[in-house]
Amino acid sequence: MGFRRFVRRGWLDAERAREMQAHLDHHVDDLIAAGCTREAAVREARHRFGNPTAIREEIYEMNSLPILETLTRDLRYSLRMLRKTPGFTIAAVLTLALGIGANTAVFSVVDALLFRPLPYPRPDRLALLQYHTRTPQEGDSRQTGANGRMWMAVRDNATTVDAAAVGGTAGVNLVARGQAAYVQQQRVAAGYFHVTGIPPFIGREFTREEDVTGGPAVVLLSYELWTRVFGADPGVVGQAITLRGEAYTVVGVLPEKFPITQRSSFTAGQGVDLWTPLRAATTGEGGGINYAVVARLHDGVGWAEARNDMKRLSPLAFRSVPPDTIAELDLAPMQAAMTEGVRQPLLMLWGAVAIVLLIACVNIAGLLLARAVTRTREIGTRMALGSGRRAVIRQLLVESVVLALIGAAAGLVVGWTVLSLLGQLGAEVFDLWQPLVLNGRAVAATLAIALLTSVIFGLVPALQASRLDIQAALGEAGMRGVAAASNRWPRRLLVIAEVALGVVLIVSAGLLVRTFVHLRDLNPGFDDRDLVTLSVSLQDARYRDPVAVQQLFDATLSRMRAVPGVEGAGVALGMPYARLLNNGIRRVDGRHTDPPNEGQITNMTYVTPGFFETLKVPLGAGRIITDADTASSLPIAVVNQAFVDRYYKDDDSVLGRHIASGQVTREIVGIIGNTQQGAAGWGDFGPISPLPCVYVPVSQTTGPFLTLVHTWFQPSWVVRSTTAADALVPQLRQAIEAVDPQLPIAKVSTIDDLRAERLAAERFMMWLVAGLGFLALVLSAVGIHGLIASGVNERTREIGIRLALGATGRQAMMAVVAPGIVLAGVGVAIGGAAALAASRLLRSFLWGVTATDPLTFGAVIAVLLAVAVVASVMPALRVLRLDPAQTLRAE
Amino acid sequence: MTLKTRQTSGTPDLLQGTLDMLVLQTLILGPAHGYTIATLIAQRSEDALQVEQGSLYPALNRLEDRGWVASFWGTSENNRKARYYRLTRAGKRQLTEETSRWQHMVAAIARVMRPIEPERE
Repeated sequence: MGFRRFVRRGWLDAERAREMQAHLDHHVDDLIAAGCTREAAVREARHRFGNPTAIREEIYEMNSLPILETLTRDLRYSLRMLRKTPGFTIAAVLTLALGIGANTAVFSVVDALLFRPLPYPRPDRLALLQYHTRTPQEGDSRQTGANGRMWMAVRDNATTVDAAAVGGTAGVNLVARGQAAYVQQQRVAAGYFHVTGIPPFIGREFTREEDVTGGPAVVLLSYELWTRVFGADPGVVGQAITLRGEAYTVVGVLPEKFPITQRSSFTAGQGVDLWTPLRAATTGEGGGINYAVVARLHDGVGWAEARNDMKRLSPLAFRSVPPDTIAELDLAPMQAAMTEGVRQPLLMLWGAVAIVLLIACVNIAGLLLARAVTRTREIGTRMALGSGRRAVIRQLLVESVVLALIGAAAGLVVGWTVLSLLGQLGAEVFDLWQPLVLNGRAVAATLAIALLTSVIFGLVPALQASRLDIQAALGEAGMRGVAAASNRWPRRLLVIAEVALGVVLIVSAGLLVRTFVHLRDLNPGFDDRDLVTLSVSLQDARYRDPVAVQQLFDATLSRMRAVPGVEGAGVALGMPYARLLNNGIRRVDGRHTDPPNEGQITNMTYVTPGFFETLKVPLGAGRIITDADTASSLPIAVVNQAFVDRYYKDDDSVLGRHIASGQVTREIVGIIGNTQQGAAGWGDFGPISPLPCVYVPVSQTTGPFLTLVHTWFQPSWVVRSTTAADALVPQLRQAIEAVDPQLPIAKVSTIDDLRAERLAAERFMMWLVAGLGFLALVLSAVGIHGLIASGVNERTREIGIRLALGATGRQAMMAVVAPGIVLAGVGVAIGGAAALAASRLLRSFLWGVTATDPLTFGAVIAVLLAVAVVASVMPALRVLRLDPAQTLRAE
Repeated sequence: MTLKTRQTSGTPDLLQGTLDMLVLQTLILGPAHGYTIATLIAQRSEDALQVEQGSLYPALNRLEDRGWVASFWGTSENNRKARYYRLTRAGKRQLTEETSRWQHMVAAIARVMRPIEPERE
């Protein structure tokens, strides 16, 4: 039968009834005309016609599609049932929505970062150069990146791959078409765009001749810069721009949204506005691991072959390897190598969100089981009235699916909201390759899980219920004195599981929160109030000489100090909380000395006089840097206490000792207090730590040193003033502009900003896991509440009897509340043990708190038990309002 | 095409689908309402086919669903409202087919049912 008739069958039936009546009327007319009495005519007509109702039914059935028919009926019934129990429905939908929403959102992030292919053509053929070392002391180590020597070995000798090195990204000053702009510049080797597979869409990329020291100054523009500054002028190729004070010729423009390859160290996450040739060297920048080398496997070359090719080049790449040491070049698939750093936290996050989903499923299962118990009578009645077992199962199935679908719809809304939140929070933490969108696969997967859960747990009771003894089910009404205990066990186990999973998650969240608070509240080592910092790029041809730099600093600082309200001002290459330059030094004399060509790694920064005074870093011994320390005076250094502790243990006269760095040997003239610094990559130090540090006067640096460090770091002016930042910053800007109008300010930050920036990853993890922990807590509470509430429902009569026999309300209440609290206790115990195991996985994320922190564990246990008590007592309060007489009469 | 019809009403020995054919045949004379159709079938068969009149309606519903007849409300000769059915183009085609199939069948049955001549020795 057609769908149209199916939809219209109600209307058609009414038509048919009228039509048949007309038929009878005509027949009666004829019979009367033939001489019958009216009564006889009506009787005869009816007799000849047959049973109109039966015929209408027959037609109605003909017009219906049997499957659709029952489905619509089940659907209507389900919606009615769901409406009738709003508490259950809201709890179930909310649970599903949160579970599905959180999962799709987090999975979408994981997918975008770890699984979605890199946005280059044929990304599976792209690799990053790695090197593998094994020494007897330190064992195996595998690093991504290369120094100049390694890159040149690959560039000049590789036969299986096309490779190109990428240098760091740095902010520089651009002057073009009468505008000055602060832009991000990345240096890349010739052939880089060929390797990525995305060539310039106007012009060409760099040639080998341009990618050598002293080669022509050429530049490639990003599409975005080209439209912003050059008005998308197609004739831009061949035009000159001024970059870092030098003239460059534009040779090409990259297509829109060119995906940036970052070396992931200094400037992760920033966009790139223009590219210049890398001009690799084996000294300076090229002396350390400061390049990333991207390689594309030649067609037909396998990974093993390409890796062997790299291995073959190892002797060229490493100088004088000791006999007991292995040093080899290697390749790793680009995506795997790039995501190494975020993989662990992301997978952990995924684990956390999976726990939430698990809890949500457990909750749904519990809710459905509880519902089945209360519906035993309804189902019994339906079966007694002739409903088939299959019909009952089908109807319960439809109900589960409807519930899951509503939950999924709400989940999509939640997921979308969470995702946009994650995008904002995560932007400073992860290099996002592509915009975050709700992932279709994630939606499908979580929807499937939700459906499966609700169907399975919707069906278990359905099967049970449909097998039930109708008489017993109906009869139970009268005998519901004490509800059978056996059918409550599945639910109890579910509640225990839920609480246990919740404990694991909330303990993790608690540990991360404690870590964050610990890091945030670390003693800065200076007075961190009333400070403003401004950073400016000095990657500029005019500032390659220490004298010019010194003049700039002196002139701007004296102007800033003249601003009313300013108590002090200074410049340093790196501020507190920032990452500092890692530099090798050699101890020349004293108790500990280093042999020539060996040394220790330390943080180093140059400072101007006034820097320590402005920050108010306490001086331990000796003196700080003053105006008397000039290029012609004795080279000096001030070191911090951490440096002394690490490198001058048991040496009681550090002042006057000498340290050598490069060609310069400096005398230690002062020991200053520690300040917190960004410590990523510093062995066992946390994300911010008081690292060993050497401070040198800017006046005693060299031109090559400044040129090199200014490609990586932007020096910062720091000013102490009680004037509000809004009023102060414009005056500070003016001070710099008055001295050099071509130097745009890269960034203005307070110390709090710098600290927050450094803790972005920790904050991200903390908020996420804390959010998930909270979710787990809410879901567990809902689960316990549901269990107790249905317990109270089932036992209303029993409680009525108890009350009638003289039990007090309090006693009756305890009887129903106790199981909830006991179950929560068991769950907490199991969860606590599981959390002890799980928190071990977290260890590398924890600072200032142990993985078994008793305070966290104690607090979580207390909170969960408190929630369990509240969730149990709330539904049990009904008991107090019970009127025993009414309860007993009710059935 | 077979269709589920309950043999609860209608002359039991009336072959499935035959009623449909009879209805179509009746309508070839022009539009008619249900009572007229029932009366016509009875008259033309000289009361040999006593259809339980109500069983006409499932047949009409089926024919309309297949698009062989179309219906409209009109006023009858008795000045009563009645639902009229008329043959559609597809219905006419169907009737032609049914008629020839019916004649073939009747002929075939007739051949089988012809009195058996006594065997000659």
